Amino acid sequence: MHTVWVRLNAVVFFGLSVLLSLSCLAALSKIGHASKHQPGELGITFILCVVIFLILLVVYSLDVYKLELNTLKSLKSHGGVDRALLSFDILADMEPAFHWNIKQLFVYVVASYETPMHLENKVVLWDKIIQASDANKMIDEENVFVKYALVDQGGDSSLLGRNVELRLMWDHMPITGLLHMDGQSPESVSSFTLPTTYDARP
Amino acid sequence: MIKEMFQKQMVELKRLWANKRQFTFQVLNLAMIVFSALMIWKGLMYLTKSESPVVVVLSGSMEPAFQRGDILFLDNSVEKLGVGDVVVFKIKDREIPIVHRILKVHSDGGLDMNLLTKGDNNRVDDRGLYAPGQLWLQREDVMGKAIGTLRYVGMVTIALNDYPVLKYVLVGMMALFVLTSKEG
Repeated sequence: MHTVWVRLNAVVFFGLSVLLSLSCLAALSKIGHASKHQPGELGITFILCVVIFLILLVVYSLDVYKLELNTLKSLKSHGGVDRALLSFDILADMEPAFHWNIKQLFVYVVASYETPMHLENKVVLWDKIIQASDANKMIDEENVFVKYALVDQGGDSSLLGRNVELRLMWDHMPITGLLHMDGQSPESVSSFTLPTTYDARP
Repeated sequence: MIKEMFQKQMVELKRLWANKRQFTFQVLNLAMIVFSALMIWKGLMYLTKSESPVVVVLSGSMEPAFQRGDILFLDNSVEKLGVGDVVVFKIKDREIPIVHRILKVHSDGGLDMNLLTKGDNNRVDDRGLYAPGQLWLQREDVMGKAIGTLRYVGMVTIALNDYPVLKYVLVGMMALFVLTSKEG
C-alpha cells in the first residue's frame, strides 16, 4: 500500500462497493410498501368518505377513486378497422403509492375486451406521468378524451356489442432498484358495453 | 509522471519474464478474473433466459423515468407480457435494441400475441420504427422485460462506445496492473 495507484484503486473500488450495497438496501427498504399503501377504492361508503375527507385534513388521507365512462363519442368502422372514441371520468389519489425511492409513477387506463379473433385484448387509452416532485399527486378530471383511440384491427364488427372493462394501473419507477406494477383491484373496475351498430353515416 | 510509471511497469514486466513461474502465476490470476466475469455474465443470461440481461439506455425516449446512461436489468423468462410492461426489443435485421413500454396487447391468452409499443416521451407509437409493412411486434422480438434499474452506471459503456480507443486503453491498463501487482 505504498503507491498512489494502489491506494487510489482501493479507495475507488471500496467506494463503488459501498454505492452498490446502498443501492441494494434502498431497493430492499420498500419491499412491502405497495401492499399496505394503495390508492383507495370506490365503495358503499364513498359519500361518507368524501364528507369526512373534506372536514378532517388527515395525514392518512382516505383516498377514493373512480374510473368510469363519461360518453361514447363515436364508434365507426374504416376499412376493416373498428374505432371507438370516448371520454371518461377519473378520480384517484396517487399519493400513498409514493415513497422516498420512487422517482415517478406512470399511471394509465387500460381497456380490456374479448373478440372472436383474440381472447385477450388490452389497450392503453390514456396515460399520465406523476413525478415525485409534482406538488399535486391527485388525478381528478372529468370528461377526459382518450389519448389513444380504442382501435381493433380484427375485421368487420369486431368492436360491436363488446363489453369493455376500464382499469387503472400504475407502474412504480424507482430511483434505483426494482420496477413494480400495480393496479385497481379487479372487483372495483367499471365496464360499459359498446353499441351493436356503428354510428349512422351522415 | 506517467512516463515514470510506465517505465516502472516495463521494468516489472521484464523482471517477471525472467522468472517464468511467477509470470505464469500472474497470467493465471488474470485469466481467473476474466473467466469469473464471463461466468457471471453467462450465468445471468441463463437465469433470465435473455441474450442480454443488462442493457444501457441510449436515448431519451423514456424520460423522465430512464435517462441516457441508466442500466436496466432484464428478465426474459416471463412468458406472458402485459400491457404497460417496459420491454426491450429488437426489430428484425436491426442491431440496436429499443426500450419502450407496451401500449397494446392482442393475444389468445397464451404466447401468440401482437404487441404495439411506445416510448413514454414520444408523441406517437412505434409503428413508424418497425420494419416496412410490420404492424405489430411478436413475443420473439422482445429481448426481455425490465425489472430493475441502476442510475448512471451505463455512462461507462456509452463513453467506451463513443471513443473506441478507450476500450483498448482500459483493458491494456487493467492487464498491466494485474500482471505486475504483487500480493502482500
